[in-house]
Amino acid sequence: MTAALRFDGVAFSYGGAPVLQDVSFALESGERVALLGRNGAGKSTLTRLVTALRHPDAGAVWVGDWDTRGRRPEELARRVGSVFQHADQQLFARTVREDVAFGPRALGLGVQECARRTATALEALELASVADEHPYDLPPPFRKLAALAGALALEPAVLVLDEPTSGLDRALQARVARALAMRAAAGVTLLVVTHDLGFAAETLDRALVLDAGRLACDEPLAGLLASPVRLAPLGLAPPPLVELSLALDLPGTPVRAAAVAVALAVRCRGE
Amino acid sequence: MARLSLDGVSYWYPAMERPALSDVTLTVAPGEVVALVGSVGAGGSTLLLVVAGLAPRVVGGRLTGDVKRDTEVAIVLPTPWTQVSGMAFTVWDEVAFGPANLGWPRERIAAAVDRSLARLDIAALAPRDPATLSGGELQRAILAGALAMEPRLLLLDEPTAELDPAGARACWRLVRALAREDGTSVVVATSDLDAVPELADRVVWMDRGRLRRAGSPAEVLADEALWREGPGGPAVARAWRAAGCPESGSVPLTVADAVGRLR
Repeated sequence: MTAALRFDGVAFSYGGAPVLQDVSFALESGERVALLGRNGAGKSTLTRLVTALRHPDAGAVWVGDWDTRGRRPEELARRVGSVFQHADQQLFARTVREDVAFGPRALGLGVQECARRTATALEALELASVADEHPYDLPPPFRKLAALAGALALEPAVLVLDEPTSGLDRALQARVARALAMRAAAGVTLLVVTHDLGFAAETLDRALVLDAGRLACDEPLAGLLASPVRLAPLGLAPPPLVELSLALDLPGTPVRAAAVAVALAVRCRGE
Repeated sequence: MARLSLDGVSYWYPAMERPALSDVTLTVAPGEVVALVGSVGAGGSTLLLVVAGLAPRVVGGRLTGDVKRDTEVAIVLPTPWTQVSGMAFTVWDEVAFGPANLGWPRERIAAAVDRSLARLDIAALAPRDPATLSGGELQRAILAGALAMEPRLLLLDEPTAELDPAGARACWRLVRALAREDGTSVVVATSDLDAVPELADRVVWMDRGRLRRAGSPAEVLADEALWREGPGGPAVARAWRAAGCPESGSVPLTVADAVGRLR
Protein backbone atom coordinates (compact mmCIF):
# COMPACT_ATOMS: atom_id res chain seq x y z
CA MET A 1 0.00 0.00 0.00
CA THR A 2 1.22 3.50 -0.85
CA ALA A 3 2.00 5.67 2.16
CA ALA A 4 -0.06 8.85 2.54
CA LEU A 5 3.18 10.81 2.93
CA ARG A 6 6.73 9.62 2.46
CA PHE A 7 10.11 11.33 2.78
CA ASP A 8 12.87 9.42 1.14
CA GLY A 9 16.42 10.56 2.03
CA VAL A 10 15.41 14.23 1.89
CA ALA A 11 18.00 16.99 2.13
CA PHE A 12 17.29 20.70 1.87
CA SER A 13 18.99 24.05 2.42
CA TYR A 14 18.00 27.66 1.76
CA GLY A 15 21.41 28.15 0.15
CA GLY A 16 23.59 28.14 3.25
CA ALA A 17 23.98 25.45 5.89
CA PRO A 18 21.82 22.33 5.43
CA VAL A 19 18.43 22.65 7.12
CA LEU A 20 17.31 19.04 6.57
CA GLN A 21 19.60 16.06 6.06
CA ASP A 22 18.78 12.50 5.10
CA VAL A 23 15.20 12.61 6.42
CA SER A 24 13.19 9.45 5.75
CA PHE A 25 9.81 8.38 7.10
CA ALA A 26 6.45 7.12 5.87
CA LEU A 27 3.01 7.98 7.27
CA GLU A 28 -0.05 5.85 6.65
CA SER A 29 -3.61 6.98 6.18
CA GLY A 30 -5.25 8.06 9.46
CA GLU A 31 -2.01 8.34 11.43
CA ARG A 32 -1.80 11.15 13.97
CA VAL A 33 1.76 12.36 14.01
CA ALA A 34 3.53 15.06 16.04
CA LEU A 35 6.52 16.76 14.46
CA LEU A 36 8.66 17.93 17.36
CA GLY A 37 12.04 19.50 18.00
CA ARG A 38 13.76 22.59 19.31
CA ASN A 39 13.48 26.00 17.66
CA GLY A 40 15.40 26.01 14.40
CA ALA A 41 15.46 22.21 14.07
CA GLY A 42 13.82 22.35 10.62
CA LYS A 43 10.17 21.57 11.45
CA SER A 44 8.57 24.42 9.53
CA THR A 45 10.91 23.83 6.61
CA LEU A 46 9.80 20.21 6.48
CA THR A 47 6.15 21.32 6.23
CA ARG A 48 7.05 23.60 3.31
CA LEU A 49 8.42 20.57 1.46
CA VAL A 50 5.17 18.66 1.99
CA THR A 51 3.15 21.48 0.46
CA ALA A 52 5.64 21.92 -2.41
CA LEU A 53 6.39 25.50 -1.40
CA ARG A 54 9.94 24.18 -1.49
CA HIS A 55 11.50 21.15 -3.16
CA PRO A 56 14.19 18.84 -1.81
CA ASP A 57 17.81 19.27 -2.91
CA ALA A 58 18.24 15.52 -2.66
CA GLY A 59 15.88 12.62 -2.08
CA ALA A 60 12.14 12.78 -2.73
CA VAL A 61 8.87 13.73 -1.05
CA TRP A 62 5.88 11.58 -1.96
CA VAL A 63 2.27 12.52 -1.25
CA GLY A 64 0.43 9.30 -2.03
CA ASP A 65 1.71 8.34 -5.48
CA TRP A 66 2.74 11.90 -6.39
CA ASP A 67 6.36 12.95 -6.33
CA THR A 68 6.21 16.62 -5.30
CA ARG A 69 9.13 17.44 -7.58
CA GLY A 70 7.94 19.62 -10.42
CA ARG A 71 4.50 20.05 -8.87
CA ARG A 72 3.15 23.41 -7.86
CA PRO A 73 1.60 24.13 -4.44
CA GLU A 74 -1.84 24.58 -6.02
CA GLU A 75 -1.69 21.02 -7.39
CA LEU A 76 -0.66 19.66 -4.01
CA ALA A 77 -3.68 21.41 -2.48
CA ARG A 78 -5.79 18.55 -3.88
CA ARG A 79 -4.12 16.24 -1.41
CA VAL A 80 -2.56 18.39 1.31
CA GLY A 81 -4.26 20.98 3.48
CA SER A 82 -1.93 23.19 5.46
CA VAL A 83 -1.97 25.87 8.09
CA PHE A 84 1.13 28.02 8.45
CA GLN A 85 2.76 29.02 11.68
CA HIS A 86 1.33 32.53 11.45
CA ALA A 87 -2.01 31.41 10.15
CA ASP A 88 -3.78 34.55 11.20
CA GLN A 89 -1.99 36.16 8.26
CA GLN A 90 -3.04 33.65 5.65
CA LEU A 91 -6.57 35.04 5.30
CA PHE A 92 -7.55 37.51 2.61
CA ALA A 93 -11.30 37.34 1.89
CA ARG A 94 -13.93 39.76 3.17
CA THR A 95 -15.71 37.19 5.30
CA VAL A 96 -14.64 34.07 7.11
CA ARG A 97 -17.04 32.04 4.96
CA GLU A 98 -15.55 33.33 1.69
CA ASP A 99 -12.08 32.64 2.98
CA VAL A 100 -12.94 29.05 3.85
CA ALA A 101 -14.69 28.59 0.50
CA PHE A 102 -11.68 29.83 -1.45
CA GLY A 103 -9.89 26.48 -1.39
CA PRO A 104 -12.72 24.26 -2.63
CA ARG A 105 -13.58 26.87 -5.28
CA ALA A 106 -9.97 26.94 -6.48
CA LEU A 107 -10.10 23.15 -6.82
CA GLY A 108 -12.84 23.72 -9.43
CA LEU A 109 -15.60 22.03 -7.45
CA GLY A 110 -19.27 22.74 -8.15
CA VAL A 111 -21.22 25.37 -6.24
CA GLN A 112 -23.10 22.85 -4.11
CA GLU A 113 -20.01 20.85 -3.23
CA CYS A 114 -18.15 24.05 -2.29
CA ALA A 115 -21.03 25.13 -0.07
CA ARG A 116 -21.20 21.71 1.58
CA ARG A 117 -17.47 21.54 2.31
CA THR A 118 -17.42 25.11 3.57
CA ALA A 119 -20.36 24.53 5.89
CA THR A 120 -18.91 21.26 7.19
CA ALA A 121 -15.54 22.87 7.92
CA LEU A 122 -17.11 25.88 9.66
CA GLU A 123 -19.26 23.56 11.74
CA ALA A 124 -16.31 21.33 12.68
CA LEU A 125 -14.62 24.34 14.31
CA GLU A 126 -17.86 25.92 15.56
CA LEU A 127 -17.31 29.02 13.45
CA ALA A 128 -20.82 29.30 11.99
CA SER A 129 -21.65 32.24 14.25
CA VAL A 130 -18.74 34.32 12.95
CA ALA A 131 -18.87 33.10 9.34
CA ASP A 132 -20.09 36.44 8.01
CA GLU A 133 -17.59 38.57 9.93
CA HIS A 134 -14.50 40.09 8.38
CA PRO A 135 -11.56 37.86 9.42
CA TYR A 136 -9.53 40.83 10.62
CA ASP A 137 -12.35 41.98 12.91
CA LEU A 138 -11.80 38.76 14.88
CA PRO A 139 -9.06 38.18 17.46
CA PRO A 140 -6.01 36.37 15.99
CA PRO A 141 -6.93 32.99 17.53
CA PHE A 142 -10.22 32.97 15.63
CA ARG A 143 -8.36 33.82 12.45
CA LYS A 144 -6.22 30.79 13.14
CA LEU A 145 -9.34 28.62 13.41
CA ALA A 146 -10.62 30.17 10.18
CA ALA A 147 -7.37 29.24 8.44
CA LEU A 148 -7.71 25.71 9.77
CA ALA A 149 -11.29 25.57 8.51
CA GLY A 150 -9.94 26.57 5.10
CA ALA A 151 -7.54 23.62 5.18
CA LEU A 152 -10.32 21.23 6.30
CA ALA A 153 -12.56 22.46 3.47
CA LEU A 154 -10.05 21.10 0.94
CA GLU A 155 -10.91 17.67 2.38
CA PRO A 156 -7.32 16.61 1.81
CA ALA A 157 -5.74 13.22 2.46
CA VAL A 158 -3.02 14.87 4.54
CA LEU A 159 -3.28 17.80 6.94
CA VAL A 160 -0.05 19.61 7.78
CA LEU A 161 -0.46 22.05 10.64
CA ASP A 162 2.23 24.32 12.05
CA GLU A 163 1.50 25.20 15.70
CA PRO A 164 -2.30 24.99 15.35
CA THR A 165 -2.93 25.68 19.06
CA SER A 166 -0.46 28.43 19.96
CA GLY A 167 -2.32 31.44 21.35
CA LEU A 168 -5.56 29.46 21.75
CA ASP A 169 -7.20 29.08 25.14
CA ARG A 170 -8.24 25.62 26.31
CA ALA A 171 -11.76 25.84 24.96
CA LEU A 172 -10.49 26.67 21.48
CA GLN A 173 -7.74 24.03 21.75
CA ALA A 174 -10.43 21.49 22.51
CA ARG A 175 -12.32 22.51 19.37
CA VAL A 176 -9.19 21.96 17.30
CA ALA A 177 -8.54 18.61 18.98
CA ARG A 178 -12.10 17.41 18.28
CA ALA A 179 -12.01 18.51 14.65
CA LEU A 180 -8.65 16.80 14.07
CA ALA A 181 -9.73 13.58 15.79
CA MET A 182 -12.80 13.40 13.52
CA ARG A 183 -10.73 13.83 10.39
CA ALA A 184 -8.14 11.28 11.49
CA ALA A 185 -10.91 8.77 12.23
CA ALA A 186 -12.06 9.30 8.64
CA GLY A 187 -8.58 8.36 7.39
CA VAL A 188 -6.89 11.74 7.08
CA THR A 189 -3.20 11.73 8.01
CA LEU A 190 -2.25 14.42 10.52
CA LEU A 191 1.25 15.90 10.67
CA VAL A 192 1.26 18.51 13.42
CA VAL A 193 4.18 20.73 14.38
CA THR A 194 3.70 21.68 18.00
CA HIS A 195 5.57 22.80 21.07
CA ASP A 196 2.51 22.06 23.20
CA LEU A 197 3.32 18.54 24.29
CA GLY A 198 0.21 18.38 26.48
CA PHE A 199 -1.93 18.95 23.41
CA ALA A 200 0.19 16.46 21.47
CA ALA A 201 -0.24 13.82 24.19
CA GLU A 202 -4.03 14.16 24.07
CA THR A 203 -4.40 14.32 20.30
CA LEU A 204 -1.54 12.50 18.56
CA ASP A 205 0.06 9.04 18.68
CA ARG A 206 3.38 9.03 16.90
CA ALA A 207 6.39 11.31 17.29
CA LEU A 208 8.87 12.44 14.68
CA VAL A 209 11.60 14.52 16.29
CA LEU A 210 14.01 16.66 14.30
CA ASP A 211 17.35 17.61 15.78
CA ALA A 212 19.54 19.98 13.78
CA GLY A 213 17.86 18.89 10.56
CA ARG A 214 18.10 15.15 11.13
CA LEU A 215 15.36 12.78 12.17
CA ALA A 216 16.35 11.85 15.73
CA CYS A 217 13.24 9.85 16.71
CA ASP A 218 10.37 8.12 15.00
CA GLU A 219 8.36 6.19 17.59
CA PRO A 220 5.16 6.10 19.67
CA LEU A 221 4.64 9.50 21.30
CA ALA A 222 3.53 8.24 24.73
CA GLY A 223 6.76 6.32 25.32
CA LEU A 224 8.93 9.23 24.25
CA LEU A 225 7.06 11.71 26.47
CA ALA A 226 7.64 9.45 29.45
CA SER A 227 11.40 9.57 28.95
CA PRO A 228 12.76 12.91 30.25
CA VAL A 229 16.33 11.77 29.78
CA ARG A 230 15.77 11.37 26.05
CA LEU A 231 13.62 14.52 25.73
CA ALA A 232 16.08 16.95 27.32
CA PRO A 233 18.82 16.82 24.64
CA LEU A 234 16.11 17.38 22.00
CA GLY A 235 14.95 20.66 23.59
CA LEU A 236 11.79 18.97 24.90
CA ALA A 237 10.39 18.29 28.35
CA PRO A 238 7.51 16.11 29.56
CA PRO A 239 4.20 18.02 29.89
CA PRO A 240 2.89 18.45 33.48
CA LEU A 241 0.63 15.41 33.55
CA VAL A 242 3.39 13.14 32.26
CA GLU A 243 5.72 14.65 34.84
CA LEU A 244 3.11 13.84 37.49
CA SER A 245 2.67 10.34 36.15
CA LEU A 246 6.44 9.80 36.34
CA ALA A 247 6.89 11.45 39.75
CA LEU A 248 4.17 9.25 41.27
CA ASP A 249 5.27 6.23 39.28
CA LEU A 250 1.66 5.68 38.17
CA PRO A 251 1.19 2.19 36.68
CA GLY A 252 1.74 2.18 32.92
CA THR A 253 2.86 5.84 32.99
CA PRO A 254 -0.38 7.29 31.54
CA VAL A 255 0.06 10.47 29.46
CA ARG A 256 -3.52 11.50 28.67
CA ALA A 257 -5.58 13.50 31.18
CA ALA A 258 -8.39 10.99 31.54
CA ALA A 259 -6.00 8.08 32.14
CA VAL A 260 -3.90 10.11 34.58
CA ALA A 261 -7.05 11.00 36.57
CA VAL A 262 -8.09 7.35 36.79
CA ALA A 263 -4.66 6.25 38.03
CA LEU A 264 -4.53 9.20 40.40
CA ALA A 265 -7.93 8.30 41.87
CA VAL A 266 -6.67 4.80 42.63
CA ARG A 267 -3.55 6.23 44.26
CA CYS A 268 -5.50 8.73 46.39
CA ARG A 269 -7.76 5.97 47.68
CA GLY A 270 -4.59 4.27 48.81
CA GLU A 271 -5.19 1.10 46.80
CA MET B 1 5.03 53.75 45.29
CA ALA B 2 3.49 51.54 42.66
CA ARG B 3 5.44 51.18 39.48
CA LEU B 4 2.22 51.03 37.50
CA SER B 5 -1.27 51.99 38.47
CA LEU B 6 -4.46 51.83 36.44
CA ASP B 7 -7.51 53.53 37.84
CA GLY B 8 -10.92 52.93 36.27
CA VAL B 9 -9.44 52.41 32.80
CA SER B 10 -11.74 51.80 29.85
CA TYR B 11 -10.61 51.59 26.26
CA TRP B 12 -12.39 51.40 22.92
CA TYR B 13 -10.69 50.31 19.68
CA PRO B 14 -11.43 52.64 16.76
CA ALA B 15 -15.02 52.36 15.51
CA MET B 16 -15.99 49.82 18.18
CA GLU B 17 -19.03 50.46 20.32
CA ARG B 18 -18.22 47.90 22.98
CA PRO B 19 -15.15 48.71 25.08
CA ALA B 20 -12.27 46.23 24.96
CA LEU B 21 -11.47 47.21 28.55
CA SER B 22 -14.07 48.25 31.13
CA ASP B 23 -13.23 50.02 34.34
CA VAL B 24 -9.97 48.20 35.09
CA THR B 25 -8.18 49.12 38.30
CA LEU B 26 -4.81 47.52 39.03
CA THR B 27 -1.47 48.37 40.60
CA VAL B 28 1.87 46.64 40.11
CA ALA B 29 4.67 46.95 42.67
CA PRO B 30 8.41 46.99 41.95
CA GLY B 31 9.71 43.45 41.40
CA GLU B 32 6.22 42.02 41.13
CA VAL B 33 5.19 39.52 38.45
CA VAL B 34 1.53 39.78 37.49
CA ALA B 35 0.05 37.19 35.15
CA LEU B 36 -2.96 38.15 33.04
CA VAL B 37 -5.08 35.13 32.20
CA GLY B 38 -8.32 34.95 30.29
CA SER B 39 -10.20 33.50 27.37
CA VAL B 40 -9.44 34.68 23.88
CA GLY B 41 -10.61 38.28 23.48
CA ALA B 42 -10.82 38.87 27.24
CA GLY B 43 -8.65 42.00 27.12
CA GLY B 44 -5.20 40.90 28.35
CA SER B 45 -3.40 41.94 25.17
CA THR B 46 -5.33 45.20 25.03
CA LEU B 47 -4.39 45.98 28.62
CA LEU B 48 -0.71 45.56 27.73
CA LEU B 49 -1.07 47.88 24.72
CA VAL B 50 -2.68 50.52 26.96
CA VAL B 51 0.03 50.21 29.62
CA ALA B 52 2.74 50.43 26.95
CA GLY B 53 1.15 53.63 25.68
CA LEU B 54 0.58 52.11 22.23
CA ALA B 55 -3.18 52.33 22.65
CA PRO B 56 -4.63 54.79 21.91
CA ARG B 57 -1.50 56.68 20.77
CA VAL B 58 -0.54 54.34 17.92
CA VAL B 59 -3.56 52.05 17.61
CA GLY B 60 -6.13 54.85 17.84
CA GLY B 61 -9.38 54.54 19.75
CA ARG B 62 -10.42 56.19 23.00
CA LEU B 63 -9.23 55.84 26.59
CA THR B 64 -10.85 56.96 29.80
CA GLY B 65 -9.53 56.65 33.35
CA ASP B 66 -6.00 57.02 34.59
CA VAL B 67 -2.78 55.19 33.64
CA LYS B 68 0.26 56.10 35.75
CA ARG B 69 3.75 54.70 35.27
CA ASP B 70 6.86 55.83 37.09
CA THR B 71 9.16 54.39 34.45
CA GLU B 72 9.72 53.58 30.81
CA VAL B 73 8.43 50.24 29.58
CA ALA B 74 9.42 47.61 27.06
CA ILE B 75 6.81 45.38 25.45
CA VAL B 76 7.13 42.08 23.62
CA LEU B 77 4.16 41.53 21.32
CA PRO B 78 2.73 38.09 20.51
CA THR B 79 3.78 38.70 16.90
CA PRO B 80 7.58 38.96 17.14
CA TRP B 81 7.98 39.22 13.38
CA THR B 82 6.17 42.59 13.51
CA GLN B 83 8.71 43.90 16.00
CA VAL B 84 11.80 43.46 13.87
CA SER B 85 13.33 46.88 13.23
CA GLY B 86 14.12 46.09 9.62
CA MET B 87 17.24 48.23 10.12
CA ALA B 88 19.64 45.49 11.20
CA PHE B 89 21.53 42.88 9.22
CA THR B 90 22.56 40.87 12.25
CA VAL B 91 20.80 39.72 15.39
CA TRP B 92 23.41 41.63 17.42
CA ASP B 93 22.47 44.90 15.71
CA GLU B 94 18.77 44.09 16.06
CA VAL B 95 19.14 43.67 19.81
CA ALA B 96 21.22 46.89 19.92
CA PHE B 97 18.51 48.86 18.12
CA GLY B 98 16.56 49.76 21.27
CA PRO B 99 19.53 50.76 23.45
CA ALA B 100 21.04 52.75 20.55
CA ASN B 101 17.81 54.73 20.33
CA LEU B 102 18.08 55.51 24.01
CA GLY B 103 21.29 57.35 23.17
CA TRP B 104 23.52 55.27 25.41
CA PRO B 105 27.31 55.33 24.99
CA ARG B 106 28.73 52.63 22.77
CA GLU B 107 30.30 50.59 25.61
CA ARG B 108 27.07 50.49 27.58
CA ILE B 109 25.13 49.34 24.50
CA ALA B 110 27.65 46.58 23.79
CA ALA B 111 27.57 45.34 27.38
CA ALA B 112 23.76 45.35 27.49
CA VAL B 113 23.45 43.51 24.18
CA ASP B 114 25.96 40.83 25.09
CA ARG B 115 24.32 40.29 28.46
CA SER B 116 20.87 40.07 26.91
CA LEU B 117 21.97 37.58 24.27
CA ALA B 118 23.58 35.44 26.97
CA ARG B 119 20.47 35.57 29.17
CA LEU B 120 18.34 34.30 26.29
CA ASP B 121 21.02 31.74 25.42
CA ILE B 122 21.28 33.02 21.84
CA ALA B 123 24.84 34.36 21.74
CA ALA B 124 25.43 31.93 18.88
CA LEU B 125 22.76 33.69 16.80
CA ALA B 126 24.47 37.11 17.08
CA PRO B 127 25.94 37.16 13.54
CA ARG B 128 22.79 35.76 11.85
CA ASP B 129 20.49 37.82 9.63
CA PRO B 130 17.21 38.25 11.57
CA ALA B 131 15.31 37.37 8.38
CA THR B 132 16.73 33.82 8.49
CA LEU B 133 15.64 33.00 12.04
CA SER B 134 13.00 30.42 12.90
CA GLY B 135 9.90 31.56 14.78
CA GLY B 136 11.28 30.65 18.19
CA GLU B 137 14.72 32.08 17.52
CA LEU B 138 13.12 35.36 16.50
CA GLN B 139 10.95 35.43 19.62
CA ARG B 140 14.10 35.06 21.73
CA ALA B 141 15.84 37.83 19.77
CA ILE B 142 12.93 40.24 20.25
CA LEU B 143 12.83 39.45 23.96
CA ALA B 144 16.59 40.03 24.13
CA GLY B 145 16.06 43.41 22.45
CA ALA B 146 13.48 44.37 25.07
CA LEU B 147 15.75 43.30 27.96
CA ALA B 148 18.73 45.14 26.49
CA MET B 149 16.91 48.42 27.19
CA GLU B 150 16.93 47.43 30.87
CA PRO B 151 13.28 48.33 31.42
CA ARG B 152 11.98 48.42 34.96
CA LEU B 153 8.52 47.53 33.71
CA LEU B 154 8.44 44.69 31.21
CA LEU B 155 5.24 43.77 29.37
CA LEU B 156 5.09 40.33 27.77
CA ASP B 157 2.27 39.05 25.58
CA GLU B 158 2.47 35.27 25.14
CA PRO B 159 6.29 35.35 25.16
CA THR B 160 6.59 31.57 24.91
CA ALA B 161 4.10 30.98 22.08
CA GLU B 162 6.87 30.19 19.59
CA LEU B 163 9.37 28.62 21.98
CA ASP B 164 10.22 24.95 22.29
CA PRO B 165 9.33 23.43 25.68
CA ALA B 166 12.85 23.76 27.07
CA GLY B 167 12.98 27.35 25.82
CA ALA B 168 9.62 28.14 27.40
CA ARG B 169 10.82 26.90 30.78
CA ALA B 170 14.02 28.91 30.45
CA CYS B 171 11.98 32.01 29.57
CA TRP B 172 9.84 31.68 32.71
CA ARG B 173 12.94 31.17 34.86
CA LEU B 174 14.39 34.31 33.32
CA VAL B 175 11.24 36.31 34.14
CA ARG B 176 11.48 35.18 37.77
CA ALA B 177 15.15 36.13 37.88
CA LEU B 178 14.49 39.57 36.40
CA ALA B 179 11.90 40.24 39.09
CA ARG B 180 13.87 38.84 41.99
CA GLU B 181 17.40 39.95 41.12
CA ASP B 182 16.85 43.15 39.14
CA GLY B 183 13.58 44.26 40.73
CA THR B 184 11.95 44.42 37.30
CA SER B 185 8.16 44.50 37.37
CA VAL B 186 6.60 42.19 34.83
CA VAL B 187 3.05 42.03 33.49
CA VAL B 188 2.65 38.94 31.36
CA ALA B 189 -0.36 37.72 29.41
CA THR B 190 -0.09 33.97 28.99
CA SER B 191 -2.15 30.93 28.17
CA ASP B 192 0.47 28.68 29.77
CA LEU B 193 -1.55 28.14 32.95
CA ASP B 194 0.73 25.31 34.05
CA ALA B 195 3.61 27.75 34.37
CA VAL B 196 1.70 30.49 36.20
CA PRO B 197 1.78 29.06 39.76
CA GLU B 198 5.57 29.21 39.89
CA LEU B 199 5.83 32.33 37.74
CA ALA B 200 3.45 34.89 39.15
CA ASP B 201 3.07 36.69 42.47
CA ARG B 202 -0.42 37.66 41.50
CA VAL B 203 -2.89 36.41 38.89
CA VAL B 204 -5.47 38.64 37.23
CA TRP B 205 -8.37 36.97 35.47
CA MET B 206 -9.66 39.14 32.63
CA ASP B 207 -13.16 38.37 31.39
CA ARG B 208 -14.80 40.29 28.54
CA GLY B 209 -12.75 43.39 29.17
CA ARG B 210 -13.26 43.43 32.92
CA LEU B 211 -11.00 42.43 35.75
CA ARG B 212 -13.03 39.53 37.09
CA ARG B 213 -10.76 38.29 39.83
CA ALA B 214 -7.29 39.07 41.15
CA GLY B 215 -5.35 37.28 43.82
CA SER B 216 -2.61 34.79 44.55
CA PRO B 217 -2.11 31.94 42.06
CA ALA B 218 -3.69 29.57 44.60
CA GLU B 219 -6.82 31.70 44.89
CA VAL B 220 -7.42 32.40 41.22
CA LEU B 221 -6.17 29.22 39.53
CA ALA B 222 -8.08 26.83 41.80
CA ASP B 223 -11.36 28.61 41.04
CA GLU B 224 -13.55 26.25 39.03
CA ALA B 225 -15.31 29.25 37.50
CA LEU B 226 -11.98 30.04 35.82
CA TRP B 227 -11.85 26.50 34.46
CA ARG B 228 -15.42 26.56 33.18
CA GLU B 229 -15.93 30.14 32.04
CA GLY B 230 -12.34 31.31 31.68
CA PRO B 231 -9.21 30.03 30.00
CA GLY B 232 -9.07 26.72 31.92
CA GLY B 233 -6.90 25.67 34.84
CA PRO B 234 -3.52 24.03 35.45
CA ALA B 235 -3.50 20.45 34.18
CA VAL B 236 -2.40 19.04 37.54
CA ALA B 237 -5.24 20.78 39.42
CA ARG B 238 -7.82 19.56 36.93
CA ALA B 239 -6.56 15.98 37.07
CA TRP B 240 -6.52 16.08 40.87
CA ARG B 241 -10.12 17.26 41.04
CA ALA B 242 -11.26 14.88 38.28
CA ALA B 243 -9.74 12.04 40.30
CA GLY B 244 -11.68 13.12 43.38
CA CYS B 245 -8.50 13.25 45.46
CA PRO B 246 -8.75 14.94 48.88
CA GLU B 247 -8.02 18.67 48.72
CA SER B 248 -7.67 19.50 52.41
CA GLY B 249 -8.41 23.17 51.80
CA SER B 250 -6.82 23.63 48.38
CA VAL B 251 -6.17 21.79 45.16
CA PRO B 252 -2.49 21.27 44.17
CA LEU B 253 -1.46 23.45 41.22
CA THR B 254 1.93 21.97 40.41
CA VAL B 255 3.52 18.55 40.10
CA ALA B 256 5.68 19.18 43.17
CA ASP B 257 2.64 20.15 45.22
CA ALA B 258 0.67 17.06 44.13
CA VAL B 259 3.57 14.73 44.84
CA GLY B 260 4.08 16.33 48.27
CA ARG B 261 0.48 15.62 49.24
CA LEU B 262 0.74 11.93 48.43
CA ARG B 263 3.84 11.44 50.51
